Amino acid sequence: MNRREEGKRKGERKVRWGAFFATAVIIIVIILFQWPKMKQAPKKDKWAFGVLLLIGWGLSMFDLQHMGGPTAWIEALFRPFGKFMEK
Amino acid sequence: MEKGKISSLQMAMLMYPTIVATAILSVPGITATYAKQDLWLSPILASLIGFVTVYIAYKLHKLYPEQTVIQFSEQILGQFAGKVLGFLFLFFYIQTTGHMIRAYSEFIVGSFLFKTPISAIIVSMTLLCAFAVHGGLEVVGRVAQLFFPVFVIPIILLILLLIPDFEIGNILPILERGIMPPIKGAIVLSGWFAEFFLIIFLFPFLSDRRKGMKYGMITVVVAMMTLVVVNLVVFFVLGITTASQNYPLMNVSRYISYADFFENLESIVMAVWIIGAFVKASLFYYVTVLGTAQWLNLSDYRPIIWPIGILIVQFSFWSLPSTMALARFDFEAFPLWGLLTQTLIPLFLLLIAVARKRKQTGSKTS
Repeated sequence: MNRREEGKRKGERKVRWGAFFATAVIIIVIILFQWPKMKQAPKKDKWAFGVLLLIGWGLSMFDLQHMGGPTAWIEALFRPFGKFMEK
Repeated sequence: MEKGKISSLQMAMLMYPTIVATAILSVPGITATYAKQDLWLSPILASLIGFVTVYIAYKLHKLYPEQTVIQFSEQILGQFAGKVLGFLFLFFYIQTTGHMIRAYSEFIVGSFLFKTPISAIIVSMTLLCAFAVHGGLEVVGRVAQLFFPVFVIPIILLILLLIPDFEIGNILPILERGIMPPIKGAIVLSGWFAEFFLIIFLFPFLSDRRKGMKYGMITVVVAMMTLVVVNLVVFFVLGITTASQNYPLMNVSRYISYADFFENLESIVMAVWIIGAFVKASLFYYVTVLGTAQWLNLSDYRPIIWPIGILIVQFSFWSLPSTMALARFDFEAFPLWGLLTQTLIPLFLLLIAVARKRKQTGSKTS
């Protein structure tokens, strides 16, 4: 096993801090640029903006590539179809 | 919320790369896997889905002319069921946008920029699309119009330059193993043609609505013909080995050699693909953002462009550790998943809406 795969394995157990902090920086930049423009916006818009950013930030804590999720569920749902196509 | 208007010609120029850009590169290989030498039949069969989808979208638009599907599904199904369905649509669009940008980046990393980390390409494409979306529908439409010739002329040029390498006999015998293999190829392709449902988000913003249906149908025909021609060209040159290639059109373009001058034209394929992927991703991104804003009843869609961009990047990675995983999802799950959300569910929506309207008018007259 080469070093890269080993790194990936370790990554499965740990939080990927690089991606986490990178996303945090991006989110801060987004807030810095977007917030002044949103002063006049209704409360609902501000909430949606904040909650969506929080979801993005929360997701950045996980190792998404090696994690189950909607895409994996849909694939499982349509597996019989995949088998039909393989014939 | 969206005050911009586009013409129906711009809509056609927006939809054409949206369907064709990703299809011309990978579809010859996919259809050849199932249909072998009958691969040119698959786009013709699959285009039926395109016609049906555009027809459904137009009929729904006629019933609710000022609204997009996110808004009128609440009126058709009631508030709760409508919101659930809207969430399904939005989820589908965020996911598909993510997968599309991932596929684009895998192609760039796998064929040209071997040492660039893939996240850099994904993020830069998303950023670029976000700027286009920030400009609104008019900007997206004009970008598509501007790029349309740049997208189409190189493809035509490529096909013309390939003519000397044709081996027409490759497609014989026709229908050697019955009609089933081309149908299987068409099922996979119908996922692409079902994407014509995006048109329902554009209909309310057309400046000349009466032509909407006509231009929608023309786009389906032109997309179908393009795919048939590209499939034939690739198969004429590569023969049965088409099936084993990921990006057959790229390999084919390497065959071109004219006067020691026109060579290495795969860069043209890359350029066309980047332009097409940009238009496609912008449209999907725009639809996602507009739909989410309408779903949450926001006053403007611009503030949520950037947060949704983050989600799109995350969806481009989620559960997809490798190119193989992405390809498997695209072959095995996406065709039916796309067909279900983009053609079947709208069909049921239309049936319910028609039944409701009939009941209303019936009670008025009696």
